[in-house]
Amino acid sequence: MYKIMMFEGGVYKFNELKELIEDIGGFILQESVMQTETMLHLAFPEEEERVIRDKIKELGGKFKELPLAGVEIVIITPSLGKHHAVDPVCDIGEFLRRKGAITNMLGLARGVGQRIAQMTIQEREIIEEFDAAVFVFGCFKECIEEKVRLCDMLDVPYMVVGGPPDLAVEHYVGGIGRRTDRMRRKGEIDVLDDMTAELGKIVDERRREIEEDPLAASPLFIKDMIEMVIPPEAGEELPIIIRLDGLRVNIEKEDFGRIKEVEVGKKKLSEICDFKKSLFKGYLLKIRTEAVTGSIY
Amino acid sequence: MEVKVEGGDEFANSSYEKICMNTFRDVGVRSNLDLVYMYCNPKEHVFIVSVKIGRVSSPIKVGDITHREEGKLRITNETHAPKLLALLWDKYGERVQQISRLEISFKFEDKEIDELKELVVYDPREDLVARILDGIDRIFPEGTRVRSTIPSTGRLTIIASENPIGEEWRKKAEELVSAYV
Repeated sequence: MYKIMMFEGGVYKFNELKELIEDIGGFILQESVMQTETMLHLAFPEEEERVIRDKIKELGGKFKELPLAGVEIVIITPSLGKHHAVDPVCDIGEFLRRKGAITNMLGLARGVGQRIAQMTIQEREIIEEFDAAVFVFGCFKECIEEKVRLCDMLDVPYMVVGGPPDLAVEHYVGGIGRRTDRMRRKGEIDVLDDMTAELGKIVDERRREIEEDPLAASPLFIKDMIEMVIPPEAGEELPIIIRLDGLRVNIEKEDFGRIKEVEVGKKKLSEICDFKKSLFKGYLLKIRTEAVTGSIY
Repeated sequence: MEVKVEGGDEFANSSYEKICMNTFRDVGVRSNLDLVYMYCNPKEHVFIVSVKIGRVSSPIKVGDITHREEGKLRITNETHAPKLLALLWDKYGERVQQISRLEISFKFEDKEIDELKELVVYDPREDLVARILDGIDRIFPEGTRVRSTIPSTGRLTIIASENPIGEEWRKKAEELVSAYV
C-alpha cells in the first residue's frame, strides 16, 4: 500500500529527497516550484515513512498527510444557480482539495425543489464514474429527508451535507446549508473539518474493500508507465488523474491506441485494464484485480 | 431593516435571516425597507416573504454629483457617471464632451447651466420595486416556481411554492403578514 503525503519546503537539497523517493520505489505525483518554495505530492510504500520523515526533517521542510489523495470526488448541487451554487460548494471543494482530493462540481438539471427534484439517468451515470460523491443540500430538514431518495439509487459511496445539525441520514454532516457568504469563521471551518473526516471514513472503507481483492498494479505505477510512453505536454493540467481503482486519462483520440500497448511489467495495459470513454472527460481505466489477471511480473 | 423569520426549525430560521439581510444588501435596497417578514413551511412547501417599504432616497440631480469649474464640470461621485453622460449626450449632443475620466467640457450659457443642474440623473423610486422583487426571488428556495402576490399599498407580499397555491394559503398569508407588516 502506498501512502500519499505533501512536502512543503525550500529548494535546499531538494533533489536528494526526490532521489530518495525514487530509490525506495515511490512516485512524485505533483511538483511545483515557486522561486524558493517547493511543494511535492509524494507517494511511497507505507513501511518507508520513517525514512522519508527523517529526510524531510534534515531538509527543514513541512510534512502533511493527505487523507483524500488519489481520490476523485464529485460535488453535487441541486442547480448551478445563485441559490445553491458558489458559496457553500466552493468552500467544500476547496477543503477537499486541501486534503489531496481531485474535485469536480456537478449541477443537476432538475434537482431543485422537494417533490419535483429529479436526477436523469445520464447524470447518474456521470456521478457513478467518480470514487465518491458529496451532495450539498439546503437548510430544511423535511427537504433533505425527501431529497435523499436521489442519492439512494446511486452505486457509489456518497455523503450528504446540509443545514440542520442532526439528521437521521447515513453519512450526513450538518451545519452548512444554504449560504450567501464564505465560510471563514472558526466554527464554520470546524464543520468543514468534520466533513472531510467523514468523507475520509467513507473513502477508507472503499480502500479496504479494494485491498481485500488487490488490483493487478497500483494506479500510481500505471500512471508512471503511461507517462513514459506518452509524456505530458508542458503546461497541461492533470492529464492523468489517479483514482481509487483506476485512472482517468485525458488524451487525444489518436493516442488511445498507443495507451493500450503500454507495458506494465510483463503484461500490456489492455490485458489488465478495462477501458471506457468517460461521459464527463477523457477515458476511464478500471484496473482488474490480480485474481483475474494473474501477477504482472 | 428588521428581519423576522418564522416557521422553520432554529437553524433554518437563523440561516434565512442571514440570507434576507445579505440578499437585500446585494440588491441595494436594505435602507429602503423597514421590515422583512418571512414564513417557511417546508412540510407543505409554502414560503411567504413580505416587505414593508420605508423611506426612499430623493432623486439624484446633476448638481449633486458634479462640481462646476470654468468651462467644464468635474464629476465628484463616479457611481452615476455613466448615467450622467448618457443623459447629457442625449439632451445636448456634441455640445458636451468627456475630456478625461472625471471632466466634462460644455459650451453653455449661464441660463442653461441652472437648468442643467436641476436635471435628474437617477431616481431610486424608478426601479425600487424591480430591485425588491429581484431580492425576493433570490431569497425563495429555487424549487418554488409557483408564485402568488397579495396586493396592498406600501407592502409587498409574495407566496411561493412548488405546488399550486390555494385560496386557504392566500388567506393564511394575509393573516400572518398583517400581524407583523
